[in-house]
Formats: sequence, structure tokens, C-alpha cells
Amino acid sequence: MDAFCQSLCADPIAALSGWFVLVPSLVLLLSAAAAVAARNLVRAALLATLSFVALGVVFIALGAEFVGFAQLLVYVGAVAMLIVFVILLTKPEQLARSPLAGAGPAGGILVAFALLAALLGFIFASPAADKALPAAAAAAPVAAIGRALLGEYVVVFIALGVLLTAALIGAAVIALEDEEP
Amino acid sequence: MTLQIVLAVSAVLFCFGLAAAFSRANAIMVLVGIEFMLGAANLNFLAFWRFSGDPAALTGVMFAIFSIAVAAAEAAVGLAIVILVHRRFRSVEVDDANQLRG
Repeated sequence: MDAFCQSLCADPIAALSGWFVLVPSLVLLLSAAAAVAARNLVRAALLATLSFVALGVVFIALGAEFVGFAQLLVYVGAVAMLIVFVILLTKPEQLARSPLAGAGPAGGILVAFALLAALLGFIFASPAADKALPAAAAAAPVAAIGRALLGEYVVVFIALGVLLTAALIGAAVIALEDEEP
Repeated sequence: MTLQIVLAVSAVLFCFGLAAAFSRANAIMVLVGIEFMLGAANLNFLAFWRFSGDPAALTGVMFAIFSIAVAAAEAAVGLAIVILVHRRFRSVEVDDANQLRG
């Protein structure tokens, strides 16, 4: 405890960098669990939004500021809005109580927890994962990301633009009111 | 603060998403579960990038950026399909959309 206080005075950012990741991670997992379990659809959507915010904060705490802010813009700004709008556009009388799947939710939850146990076993058994946070302040400067996007990764960048255009036009066409039944 | 902790958080988030995609009846919640799984994958990319000791190599960051863009496209198309299913079947529950021809 005393060593922690000394390192806190010497370099507060470095001493607290673990907590910057751990605290939003906790918020992320709690809100995600509540969103998955919530019966009320609007409440589930808002809890999912909170977990998207927490995930963005985790990204920023890990040193990937650009990805963190992209996550906040895309998920909180666009995807969460889209989810709320679709909830409002579909049947509002189902809002209060959204049941679990008829085929038996226990099977899905069982599979998920079996996979979780296997993954955690692998993670904590692997020597490659037992790595401390590198002391060097990791930073992905936005200028370097921009240069990489328009240099090394320019083909992927353009392909992604085409994909987004096609997907958004496709979404509009799918959701369009068709004239004849 | 080790890589294991971040990977464990990511694994737990992935399994919450998987449980939502498998066991929620509402198609909107299935899509939210898929978003959780994609977010967990992004967290893994950034964790391996951050702990690699070579932050100048932007591979993990790039993959996460592209993955977020693809997830946005997926959400737009998925929610449009939810609206279409609701118009055809008068329901957004995945068990009710049980015909190939709506």
C-alpha cells in the first residue's frame, strides 16, 4: 500500500493506468449483463448504450484514443439511435415484456457459459497472455493513423467506403414501403 | 494489470453477447448481442496491440477501425431487416419469422 502511494505521487497517470481500464471494464460488464437480462426493451437498449460508452472509455484507457472516439460516435451516436428508432417503429405494446426465445433460453445460456469457461481456462493457462502493461506510453497518434489509412491501407479504406455506401442504400431499399402486397 | 484481465473482460463480454443472440426472442436484442460480440473482438485487437510492446505498428488499431465500420453497416442492414420482418409478420420475434416466403 505504501509503495502504491509512493508510485502514485511519482507518476499518477502510470500508477492509475490499470484502474482507468478496470473501472470502465466493470461498468461495461455489469451494464452488458443487465442489458442481456432486461425484459423491458427500452431499458435494455439504454443499458446497451451505457455498455457501448464504457467500451469506448476502455479503448481510450488502453491508449487507442481514435478508436475510442470512433466507438463513441458510431455506437452511441448512430447504432444506439438506430436501435431506439427500430424499437419505436415496431410494436410498442411488446415494450413492457419481451420474453426469451421459445425454444428454451437455457440451452443458449448453457452454451455461452460453457464457451466462457473454456475461454477463461485457455486465457489463464496461456503463458503468452501473462504479460504486464508495457511501461512505454502507447499512443496511436491520429496523424499516423491518417497516414496509414491513406497510404498502406488505402485499398481497404476505399473498399470500406464502397461497403458502407452499398449497405446504407441496401438498408434503405429493404426498409422501403413496398407498393403492392 | 495484465493482458489476462483484458482478455477475460473481452471473453465475458463475448459470452454475454452470445447468450443474448441465442436466448433472446426479440430480433433487436439478437442484434444487440451481435454488437456485443463485435465489441469484444475489437477489445481483443486493441489489447493485443497495447500489450505487444510495439505501439508504432498500428495493425490492431487499423483492424479495430475497420471492424467498427463493418459493424455499423451490419447494424444498419440488420435493423432494416427487423423493420421488414415486422411489416410482413407483425412481430419482431425470431420464432415468428418461420417462413421463407413472407
